[in-house]
Amino acid sequence: MKPTVVKIDNLVKRYGELVALDHFSLEIKEGEIFGLLGPNGSGKTTTINCLLSLLSFDKGEIEVFGREMTPTSYDIKREIGVIMQNVAVLDELSVRENIDYFCGLYIADKEKRKACVEDAIKFVGLEDFVNFRPKKLSGGLLRRLNIACGIAHKPKLIILDEPTVAVDPQSRNRILEGIQELNREGATVIYTSHYMEEVEQICTRIAIMDKGRKIAEGTKDELKGMIRNTESVSIEILELPEDVREKIAHLPHVYETDYDGTKLTVRCSGGRHNLIRILAVLQEAELGFGRVYSELPTLNDVFLEITGTALRDSKE
Amino acid sequence: MFRHNLAYELKEVLRVKEFVLWLMLFPIILGTLFKVAFGSIYTKELFDTIPVAVVTASENAVAEEFLKGMAEEENPFLAPEFTDEENAKQLLFDGKVEGILTVGESMELTVSRTGIVPTMLQELVSRYKLYETVIRDTLAKDPAALQTVLAKLSAEVNACRDVSPSAENPDVYVQYFYNLIAMVAICGNMTGLHVSTNNQANQSQLGARKNCSATPKGIYLTAGLLGSCIAQSVSMVLCVTFLRFVLRVNFGGNLLLLYLAAILSGCLGVAFGFFIGSIGKMRHEGKSAIAITISMVLCFLSGLMMGNIKGILATKAPWVNRFNPVAVISDSFYCLNMYSDYRRFISKIVTITIYIAVFTVLGVLFTRRKKYASI
Repeated sequence: MKPTVVKIDNLVKRYGELVALDHFSLEIKEGEIFGLLGPNGSGKTTTINCLLSLLSFDKGEIEVFGREMTPTSYDIKREIGVIMQNVAVLDELSVRENIDYFCGLYIADKEKRKACVEDAIKFVGLEDFVNFRPKKLSGGLLRRLNIACGIAHKPKLIILDEPTVAVDPQSRNRILEGIQELNREGATVIYTSHYMEEVEQICTRIAIMDKGRKIAEGTKDELKGMIRNTESVSIEILELPEDVREKIAHLPHVYETDYDGTKLTVRCSGGRHNLIRILAVLQEAELGFGRVYSELPTLNDVFLEITGTALRDSKE
Repeated sequence: MFRHNLAYELKEVLRVKEFVLWLMLFPIILGTLFKVAFGSIYTKELFDTIPVAVVTASENAVAEEFLKGMAEEENPFLAPEFTDEENAKQLLFDGKVEGILTVGESMELTVSRTGIVPTMLQELVSRYKLYETVIRDTLAKDPAALQTVLAKLSAEVNACRDVSPSAENPDVYVQYFYNLIAMVAICGNMTGLHVSTNNQANQSQLGARKNCSATPKGIYLTAGLLGSCIAQSVSMVLCVTFLRFVLRVNFGGNLLLLYLAAILSGCLGVAFGFFIGSIGKMRHEGKSAIAITISMVLCFLSGLMMGNIKGILATKAPWVNRFNPVAVISDSFYCLNMYSDYRRFISKIVTITIYIAVFTVLGVLFTRRKKYASI
């Protein structure tokens, strides 16, 4: 069994009356890409800040690499790389100087640092911009610089707090591929996001957060297995008599139908060939229909079923 | 790690445009403007012999003797040109003389404008008339007492002697340059404020990133402060050097001590900014506005914008001058320049050092916390 890298036990953090973290517990094993998924305000960044010993908390325990994490745990901090939600670089220094500066907060040896800086530049693909000041970089390149500053010292644990906010799709893909590559090289990754697609794409295990609580945890398949919905069939149809809808609703494995005048949505729980059976009913009733598509459940469906609110609809 | 942080702190500060503009270029521009404005005023204020036309309407031995005396001193007060009335008017009209002294039974003055010189001539004539009356009365009533009366009049004239406490420059307009240097020093709060903001997790993302790092806070905080003090010292040395050697402002002979005072004053500015930055959770922009406002008020109270404000405060609220750090800085330069002994200068330097210590210690106390209640 792989060793535990991060252990959060019963963490409580209050801001006055507001409970930001409500008895939150977590265990992350070595080599994982662990996703913290939840809407804005769900407590993801608070968790990260407590984990990094930046924030005080009211109750609970935090261990990193098997040792208690405190503000002066410099030996633990040396093994952690942090990429903050907002870009945190020095405006007056060039790309190379910025990476060297932040790397120097972890590595004193100049020669070793130089090699690390070059590796980081290559890793994020900023070779052509090493002498640029941050203000001259595009949003995507700036994010890449932000990442390079956080990982240049080759940490064993990398914490990325919403690193793709306001990033173009091309840079986003590059960042996500980079995270997977870092993981392949041996780093354990904690990735927070409210973009479920990203979390689904790269994370090996996921905890879903809402209102400071962990509402579900597991691999994406485990999470999807927790809910009733296994398939959603959508059919564009302009006329749907009530008896036909009733017939569909009573098909095996169908547990919910929804018709808004133009589109019929049928949610199924388990079973195979659901789509064929639904289409057969429509053909039998000699009803014409347009586009037909079938979707497997997403993490948004998991969030929706557990909390009653869609992840995307949750308040910012 | 300390050297690494110090090197990058210096690199960063010296590349900040605001720093270069406000702490390096602005003093040079303002100093040049001061020199142009006050330098010429001071030159004009220097005493020059006043050319006057003298028209003799009737014989007056006392008046003639008086005028002769005024024209014969080492630095003569008057340059009289004895002429007729018509020519005298022409000379006045052409601006070749400042006034016409008509000598008759008494002495009358005709001028064509107002200003310092005509006022001085007016005062001279009034004095003459007073003395003439006293002398004539004495001659009429008690001629024997004339010598005593003359001696007393002479003594009255000599009662106010111009005494310089040292051999240095008593030019009042140098005070503006002292205030300019003091302003540059207190504006060092800009860099001090940055040190505070950039190293606190609840003030900036940069601070949060540094707080997460393997470098202890004390190291990058000390490196930041030292780097800011070094950068500020560079701007202080540049400012003093420009004023002294390019604008040729006379700061007296103790140039080394002047540089020392300037560097210490710059450190005071940095410490002041660091202290302001360490208080509360207000955003950097808000704190910056507060620091600039306080600095400008302190500069105003020390006489940067209004030369006589310090004098007014000295009589109405002397404690303001004693506690205003900008006034203390400016006074340290003044004491160095004006007094032969260093007692007053040392006292000002001690006050500056105390300010640096207090601001730095308070700043460190406020920023030293390791965990924040909120970010």
